Amino acid sequence: MSITTTGNALRQRKISEVMFRGFGILALLLVLVPAIWLIGSVVAHAAPHWKWSVLWSSLSVQDTGGLRDEILGTLILMLGVLIIAGSIGVLAGIHLSEFAKTRKNGKPSGGALRIASDVLSGFPSIVLGYVGYAALVVGLHWGYSLLSALIILSIMVIPYIAKTTESSLRQVPTAYREGAVALGMTAGYSLRKIVLKTALPGIVTGLLLAMAIASGETAPLIYTAGFSNTLPHGIVLTHAQFPYLTYAVFTFYNAPAAQAHYVAFDAALILVVLILLLLVISRIFVARTQRHTEGGAGRTPRRPPLGGGGTAAPTA
Amino acid sequence: MAVTGGTVDSFPSKQSGEAVRRDNPFRRTADAFRVHEELIWKAAARIAVLLPLAALAFAVTVLAVKAWPAIEVNGWKFLTGSAWNYGSSYGATVHTHGVAHPEGSDYGAWDIIAGTLQSSTIALIFAVPVSIGAAFALTERLPAWLSRPLGFAIEILAGIPSVVIGLWGLLTLGPFLSKHIYPIVADHMPNVPVLSYFRNPVGSGEGLLTAGVVLGLMIVPIVTSTTSDLFRQVPRLPKEGGEALGMTDWEVANRVTLPWVRGGIIGACVLGLGRALGETIAVAMIGGSALHLAGNIYSPFTTIAATILSQLDGALSDGTGFAVATLAELGLVLAIISVAVNLVARVIITRSSRLGGPVGAG
Amino acid sequence: MTRMHRALRVRKAAVIGATLGVALSTAVVAAGPAGASSIEKPPSATLIETGSTLLYPLFNLWVGGYGTTYPQVKIQTAGTGSGTGITDASNGTAQIGASDAYLAPSNLTATPTLENIPLAISAQLVAYNVPGVTGHINLTGKVLSEIYQGQITNWNDSAIAAANPNITLPNLPIVTLHRSDSSGDTFLFSTFLSKTDPSGWGTKIGYNTTIPWPSAPGALGEMGNSGMVSGCKATPGCVAYIGISYETQVLQAGLSYAALQNAKHQYVLPTSASISAEAASFIKKTPASGTISLIYGPAKTGYPIINYEYAIVNSQQSSSSTAKAIRSLLEWAVNSKDGNNPQYLSQVNFQPLPSKIVKASLKQIKKIK
Repeated sequence: MSITTTGNALRQRKISEVMFRGFGILALLLVLVPAIWLIGSVVAHAAPHWKWSVLWSSLSVQDTGGLRDEILGTLILMLGVLIIAGSIGVLAGIHLSEFAKTRKNGKPSGGALRIASDVLSGFPSIVLGYVGYAALVVGLHWGYSLLSALIILSIMVIPYIAKTTESSLRQVPTAYREGAVALGMTAGYSLRKIVLKTALPGIVTGLLLAMAIASGETAPLIYTAGFSNTLPHGIVLTHAQFPYLTYAVFTFYNAPAAQAHYVAFDAALILVVLILLLLVISRIFVARTQRHTEGGAGRTPRRPPLGGGGTAAPTA
Repeated sequence: MAVTGGTVDSFPSKQSGEAVRRDNPFRRTADAFRVHEELIWKAAARIAVLLPLAALAFAVTVLAVKAWPAIEVNGWKFLTGSAWNYGSSYGATVHTHGVAHPEGSDYGAWDIIAGTLQSSTIALIFAVPVSIGAAFALTERLPAWLSRPLGFAIEILAGIPSVVIGLWGLLTLGPFLSKHIYPIVADHMPNVPVLSYFRNPVGSGEGLLTAGVVLGLMIVPIVTSTTSDLFRQVPRLPKEGGEALGMTDWEVANRVTLPWVRGGIIGACVLGLGRALGETIAVAMIGGSALHLAGNIYSPFTTIAATILSQLDGALSDGTGFAVATLAELGLVLAIISVAVNLVARVIITRSSRLGGPVGAG
Repeated sequence: MTRMHRALRVRKAAVIGATLGVALSTAVVAAGPAGASSIEKPPSATLIETGSTLLYPLFNLWVGGYGTTYPQVKIQTAGTGSGTGITDASNGTAQIGASDAYLAPSNLTATPTLENIPLAISAQLVAYNVPGVTGHINLTGKVLSEIYQGQITNWNDSAIAAANPNITLPNLPIVTLHRSDSSGDTFLFSTFLSKTDPSGWGTKIGYNTTIPWPSAPGALGEMGNSGMVSGCKATPGCVAYIGISYETQVLQAGLSYAALQNAKHQYVLPTSASISAEAASFIKKTPASGTISLIYGPAKTGYPIINYEYAIVNSQQSSSSTAKAIRSLLEWAVNSKDGNNPQYLSQVNFQPLPSKIVKASLKQIKKIK
């Protein structure tokens, strides 16, 4: 079919072009509208009974009051996941991208590892929670504990971090690596100083999003961390239940007292705000690190920022 | 720099880098580290990449061990039957094949498996067009006022906790859909074989269609990201050539990009399917949790993950442990379906796309 | 012996007897109401409680009250569900499991040293959404059984009208709501239906925390008691079974609840008087282990769906200081001046244990070592 420039065929081409743009706008609406609606509805439910004291007071005994311990608990879980899953996930991504042997047709090997990784990221969270309960809480006699929660959450999130790390590393231009070799750098040095540094924005975005996903889990935490109204004193890894925000949303929503419902909505709002903060931080980080690179912010980017496309979430 | 010492005695200045390094007592260690650094990275990375595999093997092993008693007793009819009967846990305990279980317990997971497949199909039908459109918007030359908020909204959908999405679906979206959208559809559906599934009653919004739509929203991020990666792998020259020839954006997309990544898109959809199969809390809250097949598309239903979530506590009260073993068996079924789906996805993606292209192709 | 000696001896015996009697009864009287002295002082310990979501709000209230007197005991609570409570108490993950249902024989075979200790009395409402009807609809267990089996499908059915001669019931299809998650409320409701309709529901379906619900037209499953309330509110014509601690929510949602027919053919509303009357009728029947269903009892003015809320505790604890802390907490909870006091119980509409049951519970508590 020739590319015509006249008559009916031209009108057809124009129409299909308009429809394509319309399709793009429709996709935008179908994604943007629910996202905004979701956030708006969370705010609308929490706002009427919002008190700033929720942020720094503790849960009183009737499941009312503040969420200070739960917020701290969620933040500690995020930090723990960052340390454990972050290090393992980034290293795994480095392997998949840098060290995996390529087969003759140019595609990397390690198919079994990738399949395992993908299956793990799609694994239902309640099943992993039960596995944690059976093997760690009961089997190893740790009881409801922070450590079993961190292990299970890390298992859920490592595949995601590995994937984003790998895809960020793949986008580092060959020219950089070749230049490093030309300058006589050892492989380890160039990996550390050149490749990782260039891929850092994408890696950090992946890490922050992984923290967001881990902190949003409910089912696995109920069966590994239990719940507590107060934070344990000091770093207690085993034999102490642990508080976190998602429990407040899931359980208090079902409680008889209306005050408990308000706490549930407050917890949902705080969670949404935390996620938005993480996303904004990652965008700021990307923007600042790319300020001085070619194709970074300040010039028309050759492709959209890594954070815009590198999203792949495990199940919740 | 890895230039080794050797003949640097002729260098005049003691302040030169080489001379300083030569005198440095830690030079040996530093050089050794520099040379072996790569090996350290390789070793650590290899261990790290084996951990997910080990974790998966661990999880499946624990499940299989816990599920074994149930597998022995439930047999193959577990996959085809529709009952879900705990038996009289306050009555007698009987033994079948040496396994203790309450009298009258009878488990068949077909309705649950069917519900899982139904909701995931609806999720795909919703998510695939939206994700492809979004991936185009993100990677092709659609205006920035479209692509930036879109990227951000997709990240929000990826990051928002499932329980908050479930609460929104339960309190806001479900009632809205059942009051305003579903009646329009249901009232005008003719009573013919396939479309009769869409007829009244519309219910309260907690059901298959609502859960499917919300699931679709939740898998949009993963499908979009995989598809965008695929689109970015398409080489620029053919695309630019097309534009130079006067093709519109749609024609470039249709004739250059899509054919290049067709197989990969199928693989990306299957990845999203894997994610939808395992979603737990949102479906449990929105789906109505019926433990039987949905009567029509608006009716309550259940999926494997939602069933495990809502039944685990009751199963724990069965002192013989048989109910928990059955739930573990259900989880194992889902794990097997998940492995199969991901295997298929991996095969399709690597076979027919350039996702595994050389590093630095950007 | 002279008559005078005999008389003297008899008088002496009488005096001694009377003095002894007075002394004994003083001792008894003195020991009786002194609640605080019968609660052991605990060492410092950490206790974990998980289990029934119905008992969870009350347990949190108790933890607050107990903690002001005995701050050395740190208690962590979670509302995970009765089954999890039983399992956790069984495998030692928690010291106290809360359960709405008593232990099954299979639980005891797995862990013979488990005890179920009654802590309070709870009840269940049958709520409905029938617009335009004022007053409480009378319902019998048999009618409810037929409704949930899909045999009675409309509110103006003759079976319902027969029980409600003073109310005009509208032409409104019935929508049955049941719990989709496993729950003690399902256990109680299905026990009630089994006892009132033994040849129908009792043989075909039975009772459990999850049951294979027969398909009634439009039947809906809801998650949690809150889900039952909101689901019923959104569905005109619904009938739902809901725990009594949600009574305020039920009324605020504009729903009403039924007067249920008890075993003496009276239609009774769930008030604290009717619940206490029903509980009193079971005092003699409750065994020392506390294992008994309180459904459909013989009290003339009693409300038929009530139950003990249990603490599931392993009488063999790993350390004696933990055991002492558990005993102390539970003794405080069942004491009518402390935990079993209206200041706590009324917030969740529970009733206190009859004093004889308190004694039986204390005996069980003493066995925890």
